[in-house]
Amino acid sequence: MSETLEKLKTAVIEGQAVPAKEACEAALAEGIPPGTILMEALVPAMDDVGNRYECGEYFVPEMLISVRAMKEGLKLLKPLLIEADVKPAGKVIAGTVKGDLHDIGKNLVCMMLEGAGFEIVDLGCDVPVDKFVAAAKEGADLLALSALLSTTMPNIKATIEALGEAGLRDKVKVMIGGAPVNDNVAKEYGADGYAADASAAVALARRLAGVTA
Amino acid sequence: MNGRERVRRTIDRQPVDRAPIDLGSTAVTGIQATTYARLRQALGLPDEPVRIEEPFQLLAEVEEPVRQALGIDTIGLWGRDTIFGFPNESWKPWNLPDGTPALVSEHFRFTLDDKGDTLIFPKGDTSAKPSGRLPSDGYYFDAIIRQQPIDEDHLHPEDWADQFSVFTEEDLRDLETRSKRLHEDTEYSVVGGFGQAGVGDIAFVPGQNLIEPKGLRDPNVWYEYLALHPDYIKGIFQMWNENALKNLELYRQAVGDRIDVIFMGGTDFGGQQGPLVSPKMFRELWKPLYKQTNDWVHENTNWKTFWHSCGSVAKLLDDFVEMGVDILNPVQCSAVGMEAETLKERWGDRLVFWGGSVDTQATMPFGSPEEVRAQAEERLRVLGRDGGLVFCSIHNIQAKTPVENVLAFFEAAKGEPIVPSPSS
Repeated sequence: MSETLEKLKTAVIEGQAVPAKEACEAALAEGIPPGTILMEALVPAMDDVGNRYECGEYFVPEMLISVRAMKEGLKLLKPLLIEADVKPAGKVIAGTVKGDLHDIGKNLVCMMLEGAGFEIVDLGCDVPVDKFVAAAKEGADLLALSALLSTTMPNIKATIEALGEAGLRDKVKVMIGGAPVNDNVAKEYGADGYAADASAAVALARRLAGVTA
Repeated sequence: MNGRERVRRTIDRQPVDRAPIDLGSTAVTGIQATTYARLRQALGLPDEPVRIEEPFQLLAEVEEPVRQALGIDTIGLWGRDTIFGFPNESWKPWNLPDGTPALVSEHFRFTLDDKGDTLIFPKGDTSAKPSGRLPSDGYYFDAIIRQQPIDEDHLHPEDWADQFSVFTEEDLRDLETRSKRLHEDTEYSVVGGFGQAGVGDIAFVPGQNLIEPKGLRDPNVWYEYLALHPDYIKGIFQMWNENALKNLELYRQAVGDRIDVIFMGGTDFGGQQGPLVSPKMFRELWKPLYKQTNDWVHENTNWKTFWHSCGSVAKLLDDFVEMGVDILNPVQCSAVGMEAETLKERWGDRLVFWGGSVDTQATMPFGSPEEVRAQAEERLRVLGRDGGLVFCSIHNIQAKTPVENVLAFFEAAKGEPIVPSPSS
């Protein structure tokens, strides 16, 4: 790997936004294709961050500052990736379900998925069922639903059922998460998977979208 | 044995006739208003509006007949001001979105937006931007983030100064009067709802009590700043702690020995899977401050310190002990590493567990009464072994919890059926 990409990767892992931006600019100036910068520096850097989180070396603050550094690079790459017609790892529609305003966890999942090369359509929080369905109709690989409250968690089920009624259930995989959610809830509600945290969400999204890391 | 004796003896690990029971003494051991209304009904109490003690989570004021029926051993000396910066006084009618009739403070002023969400104003000031939102079909408020532009290269901790104030004479006289009433007119163990030692509590970061919060107020960014700008954070924490220490002294003068337990703070350090911040960061940013306030209480009063942190905090519990925490709440046994047996074995001789008695994320809202009873009995057996357990749900009893489950829960602790009042 080029020295510049190494630098970019290290800056993202260490959560240094300015050096990450500078390294990304340098990589582009060296003529490295944006798809290569994404796949050989940003994505592996965020995988490394995810691993560090999984093994208890990184916690939420460290993960967030890495995300911030990654976004500095991604901001530069995004228009170029579109121009070069580089396909994302998959398209994810995300949101917290109806009645739930708690979006810190959902936001972190979105950012980590973006860092893994997914395209994110973030519908925000307190998203009505029909809004999820309308977005899914536009085409997506994955729907990522979040609920923090036990009172709003059943709206995950309602959303999955509405997808079925709209004839979309076979076209989009559903992953779910949030404090009261677990594997049993995922099974009971007919979701395709549950992720316990943002790092696990990346692994799950890759599995569901058939993407190799 | 009365409630006060039961709680005191439990904390001192002396034998008790049964584990003491808490409901409603704090904003983290309460019951949501809709569920409370159904509980009152099930207990055969007259159909009256529920008083909202805590408007953010819409917690009910637990009343004497309910305490009596359920065998509750505690009572709260609640703070005068709510999280929205207004005092609870001069009640007026208000209905929850599900139609449950309630009474709220006259300062509970709100507007409805185009979606039908309820937007509440800080300090009851309708000229300010609303600081809380209750979804049209929701059961709890959440903070509205009113982040003003912030220059990351020029951060000033003193922007947060508005957040802190010392108790006024009026506050202190009020605390004095109410603490006397609770201590002299009841036999419950009184829990002081102080809360101000909870430096860095994310729940207060948005500044829901302020007309115009300044400084960093967005919880999404707050966690970044913990790592990126520790000096800024330390500056805020310093002011927070100094104010808490000043107010602890005033609080002591006002309530004296009339409380047994003081609710110190509720900063959440745990997620479902593990701590939110590293033990290293915890030791650097929080631990010295929490030790200072605990030490102050132990050196100057007979109170026991009650600290709340949700989630998986097992990796921090040795630190909690070292910084002088007497009582841990809510004891989230469902989180990773927080199994009841592990907690009791490793920390049971040094921490009193106030909570842990039923899971309010799964068993209580979605289980059967038999499952609730079985879990409660198991926790009484494990966490209550050789004392040291105040029986209480893991955090507040939530909305949409079947009332049969609530009754089964308290029956398990009381050791006898809970029967409706004869007046029904």
